[in-house]
Amino acid sequence: MKCAVDIESRDVEEMYINIDPIQAGGRLTVDAMKAAIAYGDGYSVCDNCLSPFRLDYIKKPPIAQFHADLAAWLNMDAVRVVPGARRGFQAVASTYVEKGDPVIVTALAHYTEFVAVEEAGGIPREIPKDAKNHITPDAAAEKIEAVIREFSKTPPLLFIDHVDYQFGNVHDVAGIIKVAHQYDIPVLVNGAYSVGIMPVDGKALGADFVVGSGHKSMAAPAPSGLLATTNEHAQRVFRTTQAKGDVTGRTFGIKEVEMMGCTLMGVTVVGMMASFPHVKERVKHWDTEVAHSQAVTDALLSIEGTKVLSDYPRQHTLTRIDTRESFDKVAQQHKKRGYFFSSELKKRGITGVIPGSTRVWKYNTFGLTEKQIRHVGESFVEIARENGLNIV
Amino acid sequence: MSKRAVDAVFQALFLLSDVRFLLRETAPGHDLDAGQKERAATTLEKVKRQVAILEEELVR
Repeated sequence: MKCAVDIESRDVEEMYINIDPIQAGGRLTVDAMKAAIAYGDGYSVCDNCLSPFRLDYIKKPPIAQFHADLAAWLNMDAVRVVPGARRGFQAVASTYVEKGDPVIVTALAHYTEFVAVEEAGGIPREIPKDAKNHITPDAAAEKIEAVIREFSKTPPLLFIDHVDYQFGNVHDVAGIIKVAHQYDIPVLVNGAYSVGIMPVDGKALGADFVVGSGHKSMAAPAPSGLLATTNEHAQRVFRTTQAKGDVTGRTFGIKEVEMMGCTLMGVTVVGMMASFPHVKERVKHWDTEVAHSQAVTDALLSIEGTKVLSDYPRQHTLTRIDTRESFDKVAQQHKKRGYFFSSELKKRGITGVIPGSTRVWKYNTFGLTEKQIRHVGESFVEIARENGLNIV
Repeated sequence: MSKRAVDAVFQALFLLSDVRFLLRETAPGHDLDAGQKERAATTLEKVKRQVAILEEELVR
C-alpha cells in the first residue's frame, strides 16, 4: 500500500518482530505516534513562540518544561534538544577543540565522534579496547599519558561511549571520567545506547556532557537527541551569538551559536516529549529487558557452534553473535546461501538481521513482549534444527 | 468552521493509532488474547462514534 506517490507505507513494525540493532529503542510509543499526527507540519511548535524567540522558552506546547524535566531526569544542570546525538558531539567538539588538538576517543567509538573531532580540526587518538572488548580506566590513563607525550599538550576533550555500538557492552564510564578529570579533561558520555532505555545519572557518572539519541533510544522521530551538561560548561557550550550585521546593524538576541538558533521545531521534539513519560517509566524495567536479551542469547547459544561476542551474561539488549560455526555452515551448503537465514526468519515473522548475514551479526531485543521474546528464541532454535544443526 | 469535525478527525486518528500499536504489540501473529480483543472492540466502537460525528458534520 502506498502512502504517497512513490512511497510505500512502512509496516515493518506491524507485520514483523523487528530485532534490528539500531532500531529497537527508537520505535515510537503510541503517544508519539499521536503527536506525530498532530504536529507533522514544519514549524508546528512555533505557533506560540514569544519573546525571547527560542525553542527552549516555548511554553505551549510545554517545551520549556520538557527541557527542565530532561535535565532533572538525567541529573544534569542544562539540556538542549539536538538533531541527533551526532549534533551534540559536534556542538561540544566545536566549542572545546582547536585546530591540531588531540582528542581522546576509543577503539569502540561511533564514527560520528571521529567526524565531529575532524570538523573541529582535532586529531583523534583512540584508547584501545582490552581482550574482553572493554575500555578500561587504566587504558584511558595510559592513552592520555601517551597523547600528552606525543603532542606536548593535554587533550581538551575525551569521548566515551556508555554502551558501545559494536558489542553492546557497558563500560566503566565513571572510572574513565575519574581518570580524565585527574588531567582536567572534560568528558562527553555518548549515551546513544543508554539514555532512554536504561537508568543514566550524569552526576553519578561525573559526566561533563551527556549526549542521548531520540531516534535510537528515546522512542522519538529522527533526527532527535539531547545534549546535557553541567553549570560549569553550559555557559560555554550554549553561548549566545555576538554576531552583528555591518550594514543592517542587526543582532540576534539569545540564539545559541552551537545550536544554530533553534533545533527541533516540529514533530521531532513533540515526539520526544510525548514519549518521555513512557521513557522515564521503561528505564525502571531495564532488568526485564536484560533478562529478555539473555533469554534470546541463551537460545542462540543452545545451537552448537554458536558463540556470543558481547559480554556474557548479557548486560544490554544489543548483542553481537558469532554463527560462523553454526548458521554459516548451513549457508555454505544451502541453495540460498547466506540468505537462507533471513528468509527463514522472515517466514516466522522476524526481521532486522541483515539479509545474507550468517557469520557475525547483531540483534537488539529491546521493547519486545514476553511472547515475542519466546517466539524469537524458539525460531532461532527451530531454524537450526530444521537445517541439521545440533541443539545442546 | 466545524471544530467538532476537526476534533473527530483527530480523535479517530488517535484511536486508530491505538489499534496500530496493538498490531505492533502482537506481531507477527496478531493473535489477540481476551483482554486485547476487548481493547480492540472498545477502541473500534469509539472510532465508529467519531466517524458518525464526521458524517453528521460534513456529509448530512
